[in-house]
Formats: sequence, C-alpha cells, structure tokens
Amino acid sequence: MEDYSISKTKVYTVSELNQDIKRNVEAGYPDIWVEGEVSNFYFHDKKHMYFDLKDENSKIKVVMFQNINRNLIFDIEEGLHILINGYISLYEKRGEYQLVAMDARPVGKGALILAFEQLKKKLGEKGYFDVINKKSIPLLPGRIGLVTSTGGAVIRDIILVLKERFENFHLIVRDVNVQGITSSDEICEAIDELCEYGVDVIIIARGGGSLEDLWAFNTEKIAGKIFECPVPIISAIGHETDYTISDFVADRRAATPSVAAEIVILNKRETVEKIETMVKRARSLISSEVKIRKKEILLLMRRRIFARPETLLDRFNQVVSELNIRLERDIGANLKTVENNLINICRLIDKKNIIDKIYSFKTVIKNSDIRLISTVNNYINLKKSKIKYIMGKIADRNPVNILERGFALLYGVEKDRSIKSVREVNVDQAVRILLRDGVLSARIFDKIYKKIEPGFKNEN
Amino acid sequence: MKIEEMSFEESIKKLEEIVRELEDENISLEDSMKKFELGIKLSSNCLNKLNEAENRIEELTRSEDGKLIARELNLEKEN
Repeated sequence: MEDYSISKTKVYTVSELNQDIKRNVEAGYPDIWVEGEVSNFYFHDKKHMYFDLKDENSKIKVVMFQNINRNLIFDIEEGLHILINGYISLYEKRGEYQLVAMDARPVGKGALILAFEQLKKKLGEKGYFDVINKKSIPLLPGRIGLVTSTGGAVIRDIILVLKERFENFHLIVRDVNVQGITSSDEICEAIDELCEYGVDVIIIARGGGSLEDLWAFNTEKIAGKIFECPVPIISAIGHETDYTISDFVADRRAATPSVAAEIVILNKRETVEKIETMVKRARSLISSEVKIRKKEILLLMRRRIFARPETLLDRFNQVVSELNIRLERDIGANLKTVENNLINICRLIDKKNIIDKIYSFKTVIKNSDIRLISTVNNYINLKKSKIKYIMGKIADRNPVNILERGFALLYGVEKDRSIKSVREVNVDQAVRILLRDGVLSARIFDKIYKKIEPGFKNEN
Repeated sequence: MKIEEMSFEESIKKLEEIVRELEDENISLEDSMKKFELGIKLSSNCLNKLNEAENRIEELTRSEDGKLIARELNLEKEN
C-alpha cells in the first residue's frame, strides 16, 4: 500500500476549497463587461431573471435580480445579442459560479434602436417635436436651400419635380456626405451656411438605407440644429417607412425627396388656374348682383306709387271728405239743438206780461224819482237855512262887523296879535288902534286893572 | 398695407376671402364693387409674384477668405 498521507501539501475540505475559489474568483472579476447571446431565458415569475450568456464555444450562467431588471428599458429575450456588466459570484453550496448582472445593453442594431428610442423620448420631453414650435412652409419661396449629396440620385429627382411644378425657381444646393462619421457635422454646417447666405426654406434629403446608414440624421446634434434653425426645414430621409429624429424635429416631414419638392413649391399652373377661377367667380358674382338689383329697381318703378304718384293723395282725400261729412253732420245737429233750445226758451217768454211789467217798473221809478227829488230839495233847503243861520252867527263874530259897530282893536307896534289884556301893555308903550275906517298910533298914558262886568255902570 | 407689399400667401388668402364675401347675400352693391376691384388688384399681384423668381440652380461653397458664394451647379460633372 502506498502512503497517501501528504503531510506537506495542503489538504482542503470541499467547503474550504469552494471558499478559496470564491475569494479568488470574486476578487479577479469584480466588474466586467461580457458580450454574448441570451439562451435558456427564465423569467416566469417576473421576479429575478435567469439565463445563459453564450458564444459559439461556451456559456456562463447569468442572474439579473429584480432590483436591476425592473429598470431595463429594453426587453431581454431568447437569442438577443447583448452586453452584460456585472461581477462573478460563486455559490459555495453547489460549487457553481454565475455572472451577477448590474447592467445590460443591446448590441448591434438593437443598440441603435435603443439609442434612437432614448433620444426620441428625451427630445420629446424637451418639446422638440411639439407642433406649436413648427414653422409653416412658405407658399412661394424666393430661394430654396437643399442639403444633400450632389452625387446621388436624390438631387436629380428633386430638380425634376421642381421643374415640373414651376418654370422659374431659385435653388441653392449645399453638398454634404449623407452618411459616415463626419455626416452629422457636415449637415449642421450646411444648414448654418444656407441660413447665413439667405434662403426661405431648406430641404434636407437623402435616399434609402439601413439604420446605420441613416444614423447621421438621428443624432442629438442634428436635432438641436434643426430645432434652432430660424428658416423652415423639410426633412426627407430614406423611404416612406423610414423615420429619423430629424423627421420628427423638422417643421415638415416628406415621405420621399420628390414629395419634399412638391411640398416646397406650389404647382404654378394649378395656382394660376385657381387665381383665374377666383377672378371669374368674383366677376360673375358681381354681374349677377348688378342684374338682380336692376330687376328690383324696375319692379319698384312699376309700382303704383311711382307710376301714378297722385294716388298717394287718395288716402288723404278720403280722410278729408270723411271729416267734412262728420263736420257738417255734427254741426248741423248742434245747430238744430241750439235752435230748438232757443224756441223753447222763447215760448217761455210772455211778451205782454213783460211790457206790463216794464210799464209798472217805469212808474215806480218815476215815483221814486219824484220823491227823490223832493227829498233832496228838502234836504238842500234845510241845509241852506242852516247855513244862513251859521253865516249870521259868523257875521256877528266878524271882526270887521265889530268894528262897524264902533268897537276898536288894539295892537302892539311889532306884534300882530291884538292886545286883549291890560297886562299885555306897559305905560308909555306905543300901540296901534284899529278903527272902522283907519289906524291910530298912541301911547299908553296910564293903566288900571279892573274887570268890567256886563250890566254895571263903569266907574273910572 | 399696400398690395405690392403683401406676400403671395397673404394676397391669395385675401383673394379667397373676397370671393367668400362676395357670395354673401347681405353685402351692399357699393361694397361688392369695392371688393371686386381689390380682388382684381390682388390677383394681378399674385400672378406677378409667381413670375418674379429667377430661374437658377446654384451650389453654395465657402471660399478661402471665408465668403459664401453661389455658383451655377453643373450636375453632369459630379458623376
């Protein structure tokens, strides 16, 4: 028997071995990118994804846990060619290792499609595709700009359609590479130059091709340039079914380059015809309008009012005559009434009676007259005698009469009042004496106070 | 705005508008005569503008001193 105890060589337990391998392997591949094809894809419970990543000769187990796979923006499916980013992990219990995926990307066409979708989403959110930002294409552009390859068939197609639609147009072409690494940059430059030179509209055109061929029109750079461009842009890339980012951002998409030419310029002949038709229509509308109005006027002129205007008065004549009739009738009636009233009243008046009454009143008046006269006369006589009596009395008192009877009046020299008392004079005072036939000037010799009583003899 | 200053689009739009207005029965005779005259002017403006553009096909390039120049495009040579 051989000695199988190897004292110097390390002897592992299985666990120890697996642990060791785990340490080594995990340290060696902590963050790697692996490319391969998906097979044996298992995702039935929609939790964790399990699949093999393989190439022609070999395969490796991959796991993508829920927290990673739910953020995927594309679907991993059987047969898909992808890139996985992750780390190697050893499952000790079973001595198996697997690639734990932290990220996954599609490769080849899938990658391009994904990039396309991502850029489309991003620009869509920024509003690059919003209709409100799209400018309208001028109906009749003065200068048309064209960005395309002068070597291709596209430019001939466009020129052919333009010539067909319009005899005179001004086209300015800027030659570019429509695919390849420099294409996007060249196209942006072309747009700038055409804007600088001055054009009214720009067509960007290229013929059909694969997604990679058309890739230059899917870059963020081109999207930005088209969006910012102040001149309206028509995008005509590839075939009818090809859609590129530039198609979405442009102010108008043409399914093919020929359609772009149709869009950019109206059909001259059609437009001329349209204008002529409109003018014809306007003319006919006007002439029919005039005809209608003429008819209206003629009809109006035939109406009675114009043909025989005197009939206008008919109405008034009628009214007048009616009023006349009423007037005569009413006044007649009134007169009759008044007349009747008068007759009635006359009947009440008794002529003889009235004359008699008048006579008797006259007599009364005469008598009254006589009485009045005699009364007045009596009154006058009465007054007359009264006056006589008073006049007699007055005559008695008349100072002149007093003088006539022999009395005298005494006056002071200056004063005009007669002196009636002894006290009013002084001895030696000058006085005037008024007699019946003249005046005496005298001086007082002596004065004696004594009241003279009537009926007694005076003693000096 | 003077008619000559109107763009082709504006002229054609206004012309269509005028035809519509003339079709309206309520328009007065004076108005329709005025609009008709305007319409004739507009149509001749449009037809003039249609004939305005020069007939040219050019290629744009930048010269060495940085200027942009447009030269007649000859397609046969490009082959």
